[in-house]
Amino acid sequence: MIIIILALILLAILGTPLFAVMGAGGLVASHSAELDPTVLIIEMYRLASQPNLIAIPLFTLAGMILAAGGGTKRLIKLFNALLGWMPGGLAIVTIVSCSAFTAFTGASGVTIIALGALLLPMLEHANYRDKFCLGLLTTSGSLGLLFPPSMAILLYGIVSGVSIDELFLSGMLPGLLLLVMLSIYSIFSAKKLHIPPHDFSWHRLFSALRGSIWDIMLPILILIGIFGGFVTITEVAALTAIYVLLVEMVIFKKIQLVRDLPQILIDTTTLVGSILIILGVAMGLTNLLIDSQLPMKLLEVVERNIDSQLQFLLLLNLFLLLVGAMMDIFSAIVVVVPLIMPLAIRYNIEPVHLGIIFLANLEIGYMTPPVGINLFIASQRFGQPILKLFRATFPFLMIMLVWLLLISYVPLLTTWWQK
Amino acid sequence: MPTWLKIVFAIKHGLIIFEKLIAASSLLLLLLLAIIQVVARNFFDTGFSHMDVVTRHLILFIIFMGAALVSEQNKHIKIDILTPFLSTEQQEQLIRPLLLLSAFVCSIFAWFALSFWLDEWQYAPSNERWSVYLALILPIGFSILSLHLLLLTITGFEYKEPKPRPIKHFSCTDLK
Repeated sequence: MIIIILALILLAILGTPLFAVMGAGGLVASHSAELDPTVLIIEMYRLASQPNLIAIPLFTLAGMILAAGGGTKRLIKLFNALLGWMPGGLAIVTIVSCSAFTAFTGASGVTIIALGALLLPMLEHANYRDKFCLGLLTTSGSLGLLFPPSMAILLYGIVSGVSIDELFLSGMLPGLLLLVMLSIYSIFSAKKLHIPPHDFSWHRLFSALRGSIWDIMLPILILIGIFGGFVTITEVAALTAIYVLLVEMVIFKKIQLVRDLPQILIDTTTLVGSILIILGVAMGLTNLLIDSQLPMKLLEVVERNIDSQLQFLLLLNLFLLLVGAMMDIFSAIVVVVPLIMPLAIRYNIEPVHLGIIFLANLEIGYMTPPVGINLFIASQRFGQPILKLFRATFPFLMIMLVWLLLISYVPLLTTWWQK
Repeated sequence: MPTWLKIVFAIKHGLIIFEKLIAASSLLLLLLLAIIQVVARNFFDTGFSHMDVVTRHLILFIIFMGAALVSEQNKHIKIDILTPFLSTEQQEQLIRPLLLLSAFVCSIFAWFALSFWLDEWQYAPSNERWSVYLALILPIGFSILSLHLLLLTITGFEYKEPKPRPIKHFSCTDLK
């Protein structure tokens, strides 16, 4: 059995698609448990009946339509008019625009590709150092993962069974805290480099507001929809997708029904398919692991060595940082969450708090080698070596680690809304 | 190029068109049905249970067709620890056996999915049989995925990532 597990790990390291590795793992696990492998198919079929699952392709479609239309430019223009007058204004504009965009596109690399090409020359033109610009843009590719309608939160909610509304609510403050911390660093960097802010202009602000009034309505629609309790998550996703489509097609006329929409639909299905096929085949595997009492065995080992919640959180963060450095966020959610949930509950960690800690670690994993996907995408987009990008992201990484400690040890940041 | 290989390429190209067609129409239909449900629930205080069944299956259509299409682009999620250190030739030598293995895993899943479907068909009440037809996506989806991976093992990757547009000089003033 150990040989088979090692062989599967080797296959994964060699670059076998993860869904195939997990599928093979599920077949092996069902064989060793003397179960009919049809259980794996039953689990996959059961997954399809999860009501919130439909929200994932619909929100992704909305993100793809925004990326294909002129959403990126309008977003930068708006935030530049709103925040660009501050010291380090353009860097703050970068942080806020990227996180708003990532919340929609699910940190799939679209942010670096779509916004990076616009923002890099703007930052360079404003005399920010090359290293700072690259570090900032590489980091910004995964900011916003904790804001609605993040695909990572949706997937976490589906896998863990934790309420998605509560996860969205819990992620707001930690997400904002990270933006503030990175903005403060940007202000100091801009002051050090003597970068002058541009003047605030009411005219520019009104012009930007007028140009992006339809985009401003979008987060309002989502937030009221989710937290107002008027519609379900799936309904918000459907309304968001149709709203964005109509805005881009009818109002801005950036997308044409026949010319552009088919490709956007195909791009959306490929992105969703690459993520959900892992979830589909891995559901059976993780359930078999749970049936084999693996989480309980893990708990026994942990209980023998860890006494306090404080120690457990530290160990959890180290483990998740390692997972984040080795695995993609979506496969990590599917495989790791069911295994660590019982442990976290034993150490009295709120499920929503665990969710935010989990996603924060994986957010950091986006920029840590060897599998930091942001490093690879930024390297491709900006034509820079990965090592240079890693060095450039290092100060941002340190800030994010401090942020991680804060949200781990101050649960109030995530559970403030609970009575 | 030998004739048999031309046929393999033609089959693969046909399969890609089929997958794109099903993928795009499933997503569009999913969106339309979801909107109809929103309107029905919020304005007419009603809902269509049959539509829920269809949307649940549409998500499976999207997953399988999307996964097959992403195979063509070589963009499946992987743990790429080793590949960045290999030359292009070494990567190409390595990828084919891995694709074949993935095709094999999918074909096993297709087999058990068929067995599951036959059970469902046998025990489904006659008024629910229409939904069992939709569940055919499980064996068919895994078969298509398996076939696509097998064809890729033979043909290799044709898909070339479009080159990103060069980064142009751009400043804040260009936004005004």
